[in-house]
Parts: sequence; structure tokens; C-alpha cells
Amino acid sequence: MKLLAKTNRIYLGFSLIIYLLTALAFYEIIRFLIYDEVESRLQVERLDFEAYVKAHDTWTSSPYFVENKIEVSPVQNYPEKPGEVFTDTLIRNRYDGEVMPFRQLTFYKPIHGVMHRVEIRKSLIQTYRLIEVITITMAIFLGLLLLGTFWFQGKLSGRLWHPFYETLQRIKGFNLNSGVALQLTHSEITEFTELNEVLKKMADKMQQDYRSLKEFTENASHEMQTPLALINAKVEQLIQSETITETQTYWIETIYQASRRMARLNQGLLLLAKIENHQFQDSQLVNLSQLFSEKLKDMDDVLAFKEIAVQVRIHDSFGAQLPGPLAEILVTNLVNNAIKHNQLNGCIELESTINYLCLSNTGGTLVSEPERLFERFKKEATGPDSVGLGLAIVKQICDSNELAITYKQTNGKHEFRLSKLYAESTNTNSM
Amino acid sequence: MKVLVVEDELGLAESISDYMVKEGYVCETAATFREADEKIYLYTYDCIIVDLTLPDGDGFQLINSLKKLVATTGVIIISARNALEDKVKGLEIGSDDYLTKPFHLSELNARVKSLMRRRQFGGHTEIRFQEIVVVPHTRKVFVKGLPTTLSRKEYDLLLYFLSNVDVALTKASIAEHLWGDNIDSADSFDVVYSHIKNLRRKLIEKGAADYVQSIYGIGYKFSQF
Repeated sequence: MKLLAKTNRIYLGFSLIIYLLTALAFYEIIRFLIYDEVESRLQVERLDFEAYVKAHDTWTSSPYFVENKIEVSPVQNYPEKPGEVFTDTLIRNRYDGEVMPFRQLTFYKPIHGVMHRVEIRKSLIQTYRLIEVITITMAIFLGLLLLGTFWFQGKLSGRLWHPFYETLQRIKGFNLNSGVALQLTHSEITEFTELNEVLKKMADKMQQDYRSLKEFTENASHEMQTPLALINAKVEQLIQSETITETQTYWIETIYQASRRMARLNQGLLLLAKIENHQFQDSQLVNLSQLFSEKLKDMDDVLAFKEIAVQVRIHDSFGAQLPGPLAEILVTNLVNNAIKHNQLNGCIELESTINYLCLSNTGGTLVSEPERLFERFKKEATGPDSVGLGLAIVKQICDSNELAITYKQTNGKHEFRLSKLYAESTNTNSM
Repeated sequence: MKVLVVEDELGLAESISDYMVKEGYVCETAATFREADEKIYLYTYDCIIVDLTLPDGDGFQLINSLKKLVATTGVIIISARNALEDKVKGLEIGSDDYLTKPFHLSELNARVKSLMRRRQFGGHTEIRFQEIVVVPHTRKVFVKGLPTTLSRKEYDLLLYFLSNVDVALTKASIAEHLWGDNIDSADSFDVVYSHIKNLRRKLIEKGAADYVQSIYGIGYKFSQF
């Protein structure tokens, strides 16, 4: 929920409650005042009545008029504590049968020595009208006030929060990679100015850290690759000499292999760091099905040598958005993996639809748990030429490019399945 | 032919230089940007091999000023940075090739030779080794004048050998030359062996002598002796 919607909602709820309470209180107060008025008039009439009775000791009245009617009736057993009681009562109009509200004062009075119950009534019809009119007017004015303040509040907070939304928009568009510093507009509200300052400081720090990390990555690469290049070059020169013995050759061979491995390891780790830092950009739509089949074709001599049959079933091309060099690495690593862990007379199957791409190969059963297959330095084969980063790199590429990769082992077949992390619904429908 | 090696790591510069001299080039080295800058002003080279990160300057800048002076000099960048942007930038400002460290000297040599062929004869040249003739322009191979059909990889292998005659080549360098840097399968060594076997057979069938020698534990050498 948006901030403004939320405050508006709270404001609206709160003012509605206040509004209802005020209306209720108003109604009650007016009612109280009117009743008070009617009752004091009834009291006056009672005094009049009592004075009349005292003087004449009798009471005659024709109960013709409904208004201000005084009804006197003898009673046998009147309540222990005779007092005066005010009650609301309804009396039917004798002409059109309409029920009308009355306020009634009941008290007991002896006339001629006989206890009489006296009921003096006053019509409330006028006062009810009054209450109605006042309440409706009140309701209308309060309602208008409520709507007015609501509208004004909405406008005002929209204006007040404008710098905040502006800042939010800028941060959304901020790209760490671009090297462009975060630009925020100045606001006259202190809090927002402070917020912008803090954000700017943070963004600058992030950019600086990112830059130094990137520089470190490059420098580390440079610093390590150069000595490795030196070792390689010297070994290459050494093997040119005619006079080395077999044991020396073996030693040199070992040094050479170790340095190659180290170079590969270093390159692999740097690549992982680069992917994690999102230093590869310019994603484009890559037809992975095509890339895989091209790669398999390119490796045909290796495949032929190991007598591995290749089956390609491309029902539909599987495409993904990712940077070109990463797509190349992804495909190379998976194909190399499928070849390396294959067996003589084995096979590699490539299957793709619009939703997924499957690369499966024959090969011995997995020694370690399949869940840990994508971890770094998780080596399946005990070869000195494997550094155990290939699948970790594959996983990293998938993770950072919204691709999902799963591994499955079924009757001697190892299957890697690539699919989109957020499958588009249209694609699923078309299947 | 004159080659300038601009590399601040002295040991590496020395190795490259030795290798180039053995291949019959006149080779000079420069360890700093200033030294290199001075040399390209004073002399003309057929090819320069440049490291991108020099202690006192940027290799790109050097290439820029070189291209302004002598546009025909071939440029090969050797860098520890395996960044695509660098490769693209290098090609944009006129370098011909990009090798990521660590590289094989034999690979560098093959690239230099290929570059020289392209530069000097527009690629219309033949490579001759005894009775073997290779025409890189059309990718054709003749042994004693007879056309010999080689597979794509066998052809690449032969060319690699011919660029590095009399040099012991490691199996790893051959595998990487044929399949690229990412090859890390031990199987590839076996495939290298099978390719070499086939190439040898095809050349001998057409009447060539057996020039491929295998060196125990290391690899192979293409040599007349």
C-alpha cells in the first residue's frame, strides 16, 4: 500500500469515528436540552394544577384537547413511594390514527380525600422536528467539513511527500555499474534533505567500494597471472633443451601441470567474482539450443574419439537473456562436463523446447550427494586437470541471469535441465 | 623482421625475446612505457608485443601513438586482464590479436607468424617445409605437389607445427590451440594423440617423411632431424 493511501485511510477512519461520536453527542445534548425544557414546563403546569386543586378541591376538564392534556384518574393502590415520574409515551391521533410522541409527568394527588393519579402531557412533535432539522444540518456540515479536510489533506501530503517520491524514483534508476553518481534534488524539508544526504553518502560509498573491488579483482588477476606466465614460459624454454633426463622431464611435467592448474583455478575464481559483481552486462537474447548444438559439433573429434553418440532433439529453441560471453562459458562448461564424466560408447542427449533445455549424458553413478554438485571445489573425478569450478560457474551464471538449473540422475543418466526462473504464463499455455 | 616486446616482467620479456630470436626475428625489449615510447619513435618494427599494464603508463596509449607513426606495424596485446572490454578496445584502436596471460610461447609465436603472413603478403603466401606446402589462403595442403585432404583440426595442427618447427610442444598447448582456453579435459590429450597419428599417416601416405617426433612426458616436436 502506498504511503499516501495509507495515511489517507487512517485519517478517513479516524475522522469518521470522531464524526460519528460528535454527531451522537450533539444529538444527545440537544435532546437533553429539549427534554429539560419540556420537563420544566410540565413542572410549572403541575404547580398550576396543584394550586387549582387546593383552591377548588376538585378538577374538571374536558379531555378534548390532545395538547396539554391533564388526565386525572382515581387509584386504589398507589405505589409506596409516590413521586413524580417522567415518561415518553405515544398516543394515537384520533383523526388520522397517527402515533405521536408525548412527554408525560405522572404524580399522585389526593382530591376530595381520594388519591388520584395525575398525568400531564405535552406533545413532543415540534421538538422532534427541531432535533431532526438540527441533526440533519449538523450531519451535512460535518460531512462537508470532513470531505473538505480530507481533500485538502490529500493534496497537502501529496505535495509534502513529493521530494520523497522523487528521491525514490532516482534511487530506483540508480545503477552501481554505470559509474554515474547518484543525483538527488534539494528539498526545503529538513528530514528529506537529511535523507537525501544519507542516501547520497551511501551510494557514493557503495560505488567507491564497488570500484575498489573491481580494481582489486583486476589487480589480483594481473599480479597472479604474470608470475604464472613467467613459470609457463620458463618451463616451455626448459623443455626445449636436449639434455634433460627422464626424471627431470617428469619433474618439469609436474611443475607445468601444476602451474596450468593454478592458472585455470585463478581464472575460474576471478570469473566467479566477476559474475557475482555483475560485471558482465549487455544481456541479449541467446539461442542456447543453437549454441549447445554448435558446441557439440565443435567437439565432434573428441566425441568420436571417446565413441560418444550425440542425439539432438530440438523441438523448439530455448532462448535466454544473458551476456554473450557468459552464454559461451555456460555452454562450454556443461558440454565439457558431459564429455568428461562420460564413458566409452556412451551418449549425450540434447533436448530443448521453448520452456527448457536438457543435456543428459551416460556415466558412472555419482559418488557425492547430488545437492552438492554445484558447490565450489566439489570434484567428482580425481583428475589433476580438474579444478572443480566448472559447475559452480554454471550455477553462478544461472543464478545471476534468472535461469534455473537442476540436476537429476535416472538409470545411469545424468541430466542437467535449464529453465527460466520466472516461466512466462504465455509459454506454459502454448505447450 | 623486427619485433619489440614491451613487458615489465623482465623474466617473461627475456623468454619471449629468446623464443623470437630462435625463430629468426630481431627482437628488442622495453620494460617501461617511456622506453617503449622512445623506441617506437626511433625505430620501425614489423610487430610489437605489448603488455597492457605497464608501471608508468597504459599499453593502449602506446598502441595509439604507434598507430599514428607507423600504421602497418602489427600489434599483439598480452594481458593478464581477461576482460572483454579490453579485447574490444584493443581491436578498435588497431591491435591485431589479444592473448591472455599465462599463454604458451608456442601459441604466441604461431600468432606472430600468422600476423606477419597476413600483414606482409596479404595472406597470399605459402608455407613451405621440405616437401610440404600449405596455402593458408585457401586452407589447402600439398605434399610433393599432391593435394592432401586434412580435417579441420588436422589442418590447424599442421599449421601450428609449421609455425613452431624444431620446438618441443606440450600437449596442453596443442590442445588449447585446437579447442580454445576452456578445454580442460584430460581426454583432449588422447584426442591430440589421435589427431597427430592421423596427420602423420596422411602425410606419410602422400610421400612425406615422418617429421613428428614424440617427446616422452612432454609432447611433440615437428622437426626435420
